Amino acid sequence: MQEALNADGVVVQFGGLTAVNRVSLKLGKGEIQGLIGPNGAGKTTLFNALTGYVRLHQGSVKLFGDDITHLPPYARARRGLGRTFQIERPFEELTVLENALIPAFLKTERRQQAEARAWQVLEQVGLADRAQQPSADLNLARRRRLELAKALALEPRVLFLDELMAGLNPPALADMIAFVRGLSETGLAILMVEHIMKAIVELCDHVIVLAFGEKISEGTPEAVTADPRVIEAYLGGAGAAGEESPGSADEPTNETGES
Amino acid sequence: MRTSLIALVLLALAALYPLAFPHLLSIAIFFLILAGWATAWDILGGWTGQTSLGHAAFVGLGSYTLAILANRYGLAPWWGALSGMALAALLAWIWGKLTFKLRGPYFTLSTIAIAEILRLVAIEEKWLTQGAEGVFIFSLEQPFGFDLFDRQVEYYAALLYLVLVLLLVGWLVQGKFGYQMRAVREDEEAAQAAGINPERVKLIAFMLSGALTALGAAIYAVFLSYLEPHDIFFLPLSVQIALTAIIGGRGTLFGPLTGALLLVGAGEVFRNTFAEANLLIYGILIVLVVLFLPRGLIGAWRYRAIRRRYARSAQR
Amino acid sequence: MEVFVAFLQNLSGGILIGGVYALVGAGLTLVFGVMRVINFAHGEFLAIGMYLAFIMHSSLGLDPFLAMLLALPFGFLFALGLERLILSHLIDAPEDSTLLATLGLALILSNTLLLLFGAEPKTLYVPYATATLRLGALTLSLPLLLAGGIAILIIIGLSLFLNFTEQGRAIRATSQNRLGAELVGINTRAIHGLVFGIGTVAAMASGFILMPMLFAIPDIGPGFTLKAFVVTVLGGMGNIAGAIGGGLLLGIVEVLGASYLSSGYRDAYGLLAFLLVLLLRPEGLFGRTVQRV
Repeated sequence: MQEALNADGVVVQFGGLTAVNRVSLKLGKGEIQGLIGPNGAGKTTLFNALTGYVRLHQGSVKLFGDDITHLPPYARARRGLGRTFQIERPFEELTVLENALIPAFLKTERRQQAEARAWQVLEQVGLADRAQQPSADLNLARRRRLELAKALALEPRVLFLDELMAGLNPPALADMIAFVRGLSETGLAILMVEHIMKAIVELCDHVIVLAFGEKISEGTPEAVTADPRVIEAYLGGAGAAGEESPGSADEPTNETGES
Repeated sequence: MRTSLIALVLLALAALYPLAFPHLLSIAIFFLILAGWATAWDILGGWTGQTSLGHAAFVGLGSYTLAILANRYGLAPWWGALSGMALAALLAWIWGKLTFKLRGPYFTLSTIAIAEILRLVAIEEKWLTQGAEGVFIFSLEQPFGFDLFDRQVEYYAALLYLVLVLLLVGWLVQGKFGYQMRAVREDEEAAQAAGINPERVKLIAFMLSGALTALGAAIYAVFLSYLEPHDIFFLPLSVQIALTAIIGGRGTLFGPLTGALLLVGAGEVFRNTFAEANLLIYGILIVLVVLFLPRGLIGAWRYRAIRRRYARSAQR
Repeated sequence: MEVFVAFLQNLSGGILIGGVYALVGAGLTLVFGVMRVINFAHGEFLAIGMYLAFIMHSSLGLDPFLAMLLALPFGFLFALGLERLILSHLIDAPEDSTLLATLGLALILSNTLLLLFGAEPKTLYVPYATATLRLGALTLSLPLLLAGGIAILIIIGLSLFLNFTEQGRAIRATSQNRLGAELVGINTRAIHGLVFGIGTVAAMASGFILMPMLFAIPDIGPGFTLKAFVVTVLGGMGNIAGAIGGGLLLGIVEVLGASYLSSGYRDAYGLLAFLLVLLLRPEGLFGRTVQRV
């Protein structure tokens, strides 16, 4: 069966620094994969290279068999590669509905159709009652959901989630985890960068660990968190102890989501 | 809808204006054209968020094209106007292709430089433009027997122009392209993630903006009937157009029009005090707007109206 | 041989006027480098300098270079007031804001000059206006020589100030990282005022320096603002030493272009160079190479 996403030997360099060194990954339909690693490991850089925001110097990226290695980000989005941003990027002067409307226009020229799709997506993430609210006024949890709604409005086939779970309190986190699980059950292939281990353990079929730009381990969440190389990378090197160590199931609660 | 009703009433009043004030037509014509220019500028500057201070180049292009084609080849003014629009679109495309990789203030600086270079070309290439001597438009064909040099005819032409621009922009902004423009304005990278090609959007916006400016310039040329590169391609004209839109409210349909009304009106009121220093008002107002009303007059009003409307609906 | 002498003559003229351009540009690049403000009103301060030179000469009989020393402190205070009144409120506003605010300021200043002095050109005759100096086979205009020389001296003084004094260090720290500078106890608000004052004073000084050679009209400002931008971009934003290189380059390009190509397009050569650098090498000709994505 054709993979949803196939990245082969990706290398990203900035001047003299190799940020991502020959990383390969395969993502199948309906699969959820996690990408973890200590800070500075190259996770977001890899994300950005796969979605087209950063140029890769070697390697290839294929989406359902199509080579997208040199395509600009909007072309990848058009082919069904959706993503969220770690720091949410709503179109601030616009309302929540208009934010969802913009990606919804991808598949149609007509406003009516796009609006219908936008409403659908807002219902899905639970923001329909806030549709007319200016997006600049949303709190963190709702901004996060809007970010997700914008990606879903594209009708993506592959979805990249960049630290979607960060900063959510326990009820909001549980909701989000359930939501993502629901998404993959519809056949969506998901790649998630995460520090929140609870989400990784509960959602991922497969986990890849990066450190210093290289893949140092991969496997099921259980296998990977028990791998001594991974523990070493988090505790003995660049990673901070405690909340980021792979064995812990604590989540930081720095912002109140809504109930 | 309430807005449409108000607009229709205003349109009716505007149509009757020449009958009521036959001696105040020139200032009204200038207001209509400036309002049209500002609304056209806003397509790029307000809706797409790329601030140009070089739009006088399109004014020059539109007016000179009509004048030269009419004088040298006897071409009817509507063909002259259309040619001007086509050239303006071409200029915008080339210009945008070169400079849209520049962000924010750097793009703005580049527009000043390019417009300035074009002004120098207009002055130097005397074989084409008769240089600093300027160009007289001697005679023009008369469509349906209307004398285009008659102020009343020019007034209705200018009014038609403004209405056309408003209708076009109004239609554009509630459709797909309109939202793509807004996305590019707000956040280019997030726009890319939504499947939008920012360069393409900016180019099309620029071409529309330039072409519509050139159309108004054609009318302006007939209105002036004598063109000088110094006046037409002038940086202050670019600044005037941009500030009219910004003070009135960028990214709103009636903001630029409001700006033109305010500024041309204030210019008339203070004409005796300030004489040639009428741009002084622009200077004072833009500083006040930047400090206190960054979204411009209509923009500030809309900002509050949207929140009021949401608050009311959330209470139910 | 004749051709060569003529070339040197042109070149030297270009270098000298380039010195003045460097001073004008240095003020702008400093303001941009530290405050991230694109000061559209920069040229207006030059115009103010010219008009002040004119008044002080016609009413007090003062030589412009002398008048400059007297007037600059007041110019500094004026600029400080403007910064406090307008720019300091816009530190965290969107990018466009300071650009529009300084644009507005430029309009206010130039139109005020128009109201005060009228549109007719004002000139100033110093006794040495047509004096020349012979240097080998070259004949150099004395006012031009003085202008270029004094401009370079001022820039050198500025450079020394920035690199060898406590305040200068504080300024450089603020330009590199405003938050970091705050954290080590630098009053960045005061620094902003200081820098805007210095930049403005540089422009005004240029006005005094140029007055003997040009005539003053109220809308002479924007042309010089544009030249200052060219110098700033050529030399690299925030790079004072680069401004010297950029100014000299602009002066030379203008004079040579006007002499050997077409004089009508004199201003266009600088603008073309500006566009090319902006598009191809935005860090400036003398800036450190930036990794291109």
